Amino acid sequence: MPVNRTFEEINCKIKKKKAVVLNAEEIIPLVEERGIKKATEEIDVVTTGTFGPMCSSGAIINFGHSDPPIRMKKIWLNDVEAYAGLAAVDAYIGATQLSESKNIEYGGAHVIEDFISGKQIKLKALSPGTDCYPRREIETYINKESVNQAILFNPRNSYQNYNVAINTSQRKLYTYMGILLPEMGNATYSTSGQLSPLFNDPYFMTIGIGTRIFLGGTQGYIIWEGTQFFPQSLNIEKGRIVHRGGTLAVIGNLKEMSSEYIRAAVFKGYGVSLYVGIGIPIPILNEEIMKCVLIKDEDIYTEIIDYSIPRLERPSLGWVNYKQLREGKIIVKGKEVPTSSLSSYAKAREIAQKLKEEILKANFFLQKPIQTFSQEGVALKKLLEIH
Amino acid sequence: MTKKKVILTFSPINVEKPITFQLVKNYDLWVNILQAKFKPNLGGKLVLEIRGEKGKIDKGLNFVKQLGVGVELLEQEVLWDRERCIDCGACISICPTGVLCLDKVTFRLNFNYDKCIVCGYCVEACPLGAIKIIF
Repeated sequence: MPVNRTFEEINCKIKKKKAVVLNAEEIIPLVEERGIKKATEEIDVVTTGTFGPMCSSGAIINFGHSDPPIRMKKIWLNDVEAYAGLAAVDAYIGATQLSESKNIEYGGAHVIEDFISGKQIKLKALSPGTDCYPRREIETYINKESVNQAILFNPRNSYQNYNVAINTSQRKLYTYMGILLPEMGNATYSTSGQLSPLFNDPYFMTIGIGTRIFLGGTQGYIIWEGTQFFPQSLNIEKGRIVHRGGTLAVIGNLKEMSSEYIRAAVFKGYGVSLYVGIGIPIPILNEEIMKCVLIKDEDIYTEIIDYSIPRLERPSLGWVNYKQLREGKIIVKGKEVPTSSLSSYAKAREIAQKLKEEILKANFFLQKPIQTFSQEGVALKKLLEIH
Repeated sequence: MTKKKVILTFSPINVEKPITFQLVKNYDLWVNILQAKFKPNLGGKLVLEIRGEKGKIDKGLNFVKQLGVGVELLEQEVLWDRERCIDCGACISICPTGVLCLDKVTFRLNFNYDKCIVCGYCVEACPLGAIKIIF
């Protein structure tokens, strides 16, 4: 009889501290040794992890009311503007928003990291004043103890796959993929490959709305498909399928997060971004799912894209796998090109390991998706100009 | 034969002294200038790789110090903040001399100061601002 486990059965074992959990690296040699059938019988959960720059991130904060109260129309946190078009003292601080005074050196991501670290954040807000909210200005300090709620809410995180960036021009380029040296002087990429959550469940068989995840050091949830969710698979050559474009919208309590797993970053000449640590447990419900988590860096391919062409569709310079990328050198058009990762493999591993330990200690239980993601008929839409 | 990388800091007063010449001639040292930054009337910095007998290197550097020139080991001026570093590796492919690499087993960053020429490329490539050069 092939294994057919349920989330409930796995949670029962977690509760009794009898669940068998491995991370997405450890599972590979184990299955090679014991075979899929036996390993599926033995293993309950495989944990994944990623720690990369995720621009589409931000936090909702409710500051609490002052006396007399104010309906904030314009808000700055440490001189970084937050979106105030919500109720009186609700705001959304976006990770990539830049400081009015420090510009690219400090942004929304830094506000979020400082907030998590418990630092005082300077709040300035303006209002036209109303009969019910007469105050027109406030300047004060907030911190994670002083505010009502602080919720990390990221519309697009945990990219399934991302291309390799290279530059064929004569000029150094400053991009969101880091600094690209002229004449293919280097190449950058950004995923945790075999440890990455969405490579380990590429068909979204276990991941969906409601999935409980490790987010920034605490427990969070997947609340929707991510923006630009486009999880089509591409057959680049016989038997070689590339998954790309799956993304996740995630949410969690910012107050409980740790700056070990949420970090502000500056990409010189480009802007500010937020490194977000995400770990997702994959329940081994059956052999089909076990086959998915066996994915190795050498089986995962990504496209090398020339960033020197500043258009939506940039030229492709071929395909490469993550084993080659992680070895530090790839061959592009006959030239040896050194590679750099922007996401941290060491941190991804740490996150997958931490999630594993939390499950083993019965601090983390699996949540069956309330709804899975539809993968049919999705296609990236273009923004057209009026002619 | 030992090797040492040092950063010499000159003030406007001692900037005109022919220090490298004296290190070569009087202390029998091989001096390789890795980088030099000087501004008129302001002094500047000189990054040197010095080779020679250990005793002679120490004596030579003592002589330089006595002239009022600041002497720091390269490691003291290229600061890698291990706590801030997340081991992503963004700095690796930008480095012209192969100072940086990820450990094959732990995937944590290694910083080989011996190969560093203080070009500063890694400083601008690091998204976390974990590398600083006092220069």
